[in-house]
Amino acid sequence: MSIAEYDYTIIGTGPAGMAAAITARKHGLNVLVLDEQPAVGGQIFRNIEGLEKYRNSEYHKLGEEYLSGSKLVQQFRNSGVVYLNGRSVWQIDGDLGIHHVSTIPTDQKSSVPQFCKTKYLLIAVGAMERPMPLPGWTLPGVMACTAADVLYKSSGMIPQGKVILAGSGPLLLLIACRLLDAGVKISAFLDTTPRGALIQALPHLPKALREFGYLKKGLEMLWKLRTSGIPIYTGIQEIEALGNSKLEKVRFKKGMKHSEVSADLLLLHNGVVPNVQITRQLACDHSWYDVQRYWEPIVDDWGNTSMERTAVAGDCGRVSGAVVSEISGHLSALDTVRQLGAITLNERDKLSRNLRQSLQSHKSARPFLDKLFQPRQNQIVPNKEDVLVCRCEEVTVREIRETVRLGFQNPDRLKSMIRCGMGPCQARMCGLSVSEIIADEKQISPGEVGYFKIRSPIKPITIGQLAEND
Amino acid sequence: MFKKQYESHETVTIIFEGKSLDVEIGQTVAAALLGGGHLIFRYTRVSGEPRAAYCFMGVCFECLLEINGQRNQQGCMIPVSDGMKIKRQLPPKVKIL
Amino acid sequence: MINENAEVVVVGGGVIGVSLAYGMVKNGAKVILIDKVDNRLTASRGNFGLVWVQGKGKGMPRYVEWCIEATEKWPEFAENLENESGFNLDYEKTGGLEICLGEEEHQERVNFIEEMSQASSSGRYDCEMISLKELQSMIPEIKLGKEVSGASFCSHDGCVNPLNLLKAMSSSFQENGGDYRPEQLVQKIEYSSNSFKIETGTHSFNAKKIVLACGLMTTKLANMVGMKVPVIAERGQILVTESTSRVFNYPTGGIRQNYDGSFMLGGSQEAVSNNIETSYEVLQNIAKRAIRILPNLKNLQMIRSWAALRVLTPDKMPVYLESDQYPGAYAITSHSGVSLASIHSSNLVDWILEEKIPLGFSSFHPQRFNVQEAI
Repeated sequence: MSIAEYDYTIIGTGPAGMAAAITARKHGLNVLVLDEQPAVGGQIFRNIEGLEKYRNSEYHKLGEEYLSGSKLVQQFRNSGVVYLNGRSVWQIDGDLGIHHVSTIPTDQKSSVPQFCKTKYLLIAVGAMERPMPLPGWTLPGVMACTAADVLYKSSGMIPQGKVILAGSGPLLLLIACRLLDAGVKISAFLDTTPRGALIQALPHLPKALREFGYLKKGLEMLWKLRTSGIPIYTGIQEIEALGNSKLEKVRFKKGMKHSEVSADLLLLHNGVVPNVQITRQLACDHSWYDVQRYWEPIVDDWGNTSMERTAVAGDCGRVSGAVVSEISGHLSALDTVRQLGAITLNERDKLSRNLRQSLQSHKSARPFLDKLFQPRQNQIVPNKEDVLVCRCEEVTVREIRETVRLGFQNPDRLKSMIRCGMGPCQARMCGLSVSEIIADEKQISPGEVGYFKIRSPIKPITIGQLAEND
Repeated sequence: MFKKQYESHETVTIIFEGKSLDVEIGQTVAAALLGGGHLIFRYTRVSGEPRAAYCFMGVCFECLLEINGQRNQQGCMIPVSDGMKIKRQLPPKVKIL
Repeated sequence: MINENAEVVVVGGGVIGVSLAYGMVKNGAKVILIDKVDNRLTASRGNFGLVWVQGKGKGMPRYVEWCIEATEKWPEFAENLENESGFNLDYEKTGGLEICLGEEEHQERVNFIEEMSQASSSGRYDCEMISLKELQSMIPEIKLGKEVSGASFCSHDGCVNPLNLLKAMSSSFQENGGDYRPEQLVQKIEYSSNSFKIETGTHSFNAKKIVLACGLMTTKLANMVGMKVPVIAERGQILVTESTSRVFNYPTGGIRQNYDGSFMLGGSQEAVSNNIETSYEVLQNIAKRAIRILPNLKNLQMIRSWAALRVLTPDKMPVYLESDQYPGAYAITSHSGVSLASIHSSNLVDWILEEKIPLGFSSFHPQRFNVQEAI
């Protein structure tokens, strides 16, 4: 049986992935696009086609940025790529063989796993939320704040009952405003951004003012929140989710005072971090970005990683938002087109000039935002020792600290001792926290501690699927 | 806890814990269950504590359900289909040594 | 350079080094355990956890006896270790299986078991062939594949959680006054006045005895103290599934179901020495064979896979050596660190600390490799 071979395979259909596909196709490449989601758009443009078709009035309320995504989607749909939705990449070989399988359960015909080869690979899988371990965070009724965004966009659902938003970061603000627009009554907004954060970020403000649009949007959201009547608490610490078998109350500390409010839904957010699961499986080199406390793949100006013929674009490289992601997708594809010989170096540089200018401009607010919402260690490392850090294997802060004190400070050694990172999520929910706790114990940077070795399967597949012939 | 704001354009019937539930086509199982008022998806292997979907984007692996007899299915990644049988995932029976 | 003293310095933080260090502190010795912490050397954290006799030691009856003795000591060893450390080892001595597919494999197994039984001078080697019917009756809750032709069953065999074994011994070692030094790489070993000086770059450890149990690094370090110990790396790949109800209650060389209900599948061998990456071909072969034996495995999800490098001598059997040129320097290497943990932490410790040489110990001397070469 012959194996399909593509010039360019892109994983992810957010703005970065779609942009790269469009550019690659313009230069005649044979392109495969894979996405584990059933529809295009990534997170930011989630269900954009469904919304436009079935919920048009809501679609128009989602704002200019969201609507601009439709244009990109249309170009993507017309570009002539081979687009496979609902396909989960479970392993990528060193020579860029791509193993993928359907995300739909195995009793359907589409469950036969597939394999293809590609000359060049673009990883555009976007970002995820930084895990925010705190007491009671595993209680039903506690969710990551993007869950509310997904449920609204994909399913038109809004939360009922007492809804509390807690954490820090522009996304929390965005979600709060979206919920307000949808008519949700938010019970409280608990802002954990430390006092003094603005002052520390001020040196970057002049640069940020170059793209005033971002700041303007932020200020508008802040204004909307402040005039909404929602109780807003700032400088919050020590958040706890309380309840028996589900969330009932939220406790928090402001200054010296502890308060408790009743709650049905607690939406948490502590920043956005690149999803490095695939780049880690490929053993790309990563570096520690200290301001925002996450690992990012080491790339050149075109997104090329330390692995041959493999690039990243969008938020899975450095978290910079939708517009920057889109531009980086175009740029990365241009360089790949050049590497494949379809254009010369000069042509590439000529074609990318405007894009680069636009990129610099749209990135100018980022240093300010990254510094303003710089996570502090005490927001990431829980102060209570029986907080679950590894949700899958139920490993606590205490167990991690005790094991480090026994001399096991390497994440993989730690993992073999106490099982943190061994569950189905393969450390997506605990990896950063584990490195931070080890770093705290040893008084070194998490960058020095390192991260778990990530192995295939990137997403689970069955033994039967593994055994089947391609 | 989450309520759908608009009318479904087309529905299918799924069965959760033996009870029928009409849900809009194109929804994920996790969203459909949540919309139907079902918060708890599973009980953990390690301690048996209740868990619900957390991230809704395929990262957290909390929304693990038994779908059509297959365990450990991410509810937030799988679209509903007519007649789909869904159960809360319970801890596997371990051998007592 | 920080100077430190001990009675014994053990070099190597894998299961063998830790077993020896653990046994020594229990005997009251002052021990420093040096560990390089190299994540490419993970045999001790990447193995199948078998406590095994079956299939080992062909051509060296002394080794077979050694393995049998180890498995006989294991239950008490496990109980003591669990009580001391407070950690569960999930140790089971159920006997172990090697399941055969087709007639050819079956006949090969029959012949092998016959040879091993004959070679067992003590007559203690207890392994027999069982029929397909008998085999299915031992595992009534899971169906055997159509090609299964029978199996060999060895009553000595069992299994353990190898990670917990390492954890328990490490913890107990430190609780009993042992000194664990991670991130230390031996650069030089000097010998003067019956004492060894081990330099690591930041430290200088002084001891009367040095025990080299450093896996794939053994050859290099043993050379520094006048010993020739050849070791070869061999890659093995393993995959682990989601947890499911416990139905498979006997370990085999390629399939076992852990205490938590997850299945581990493995049994591959590759002449790869320089990386611990998994490969699709090997994982697929493992999966294919496993399904031929237990078809119902096909519905279980693989959630993790890994590879590690086995540490093998040329005949795959241990080397236990004291340096002639530098008495007090020992080199210990074996593929079966988990199975032999019980005996390493007792008999070998007696040998190192009190010069009690086990019977027939010369079988484990590496000069046997020269003989093999000469032939």
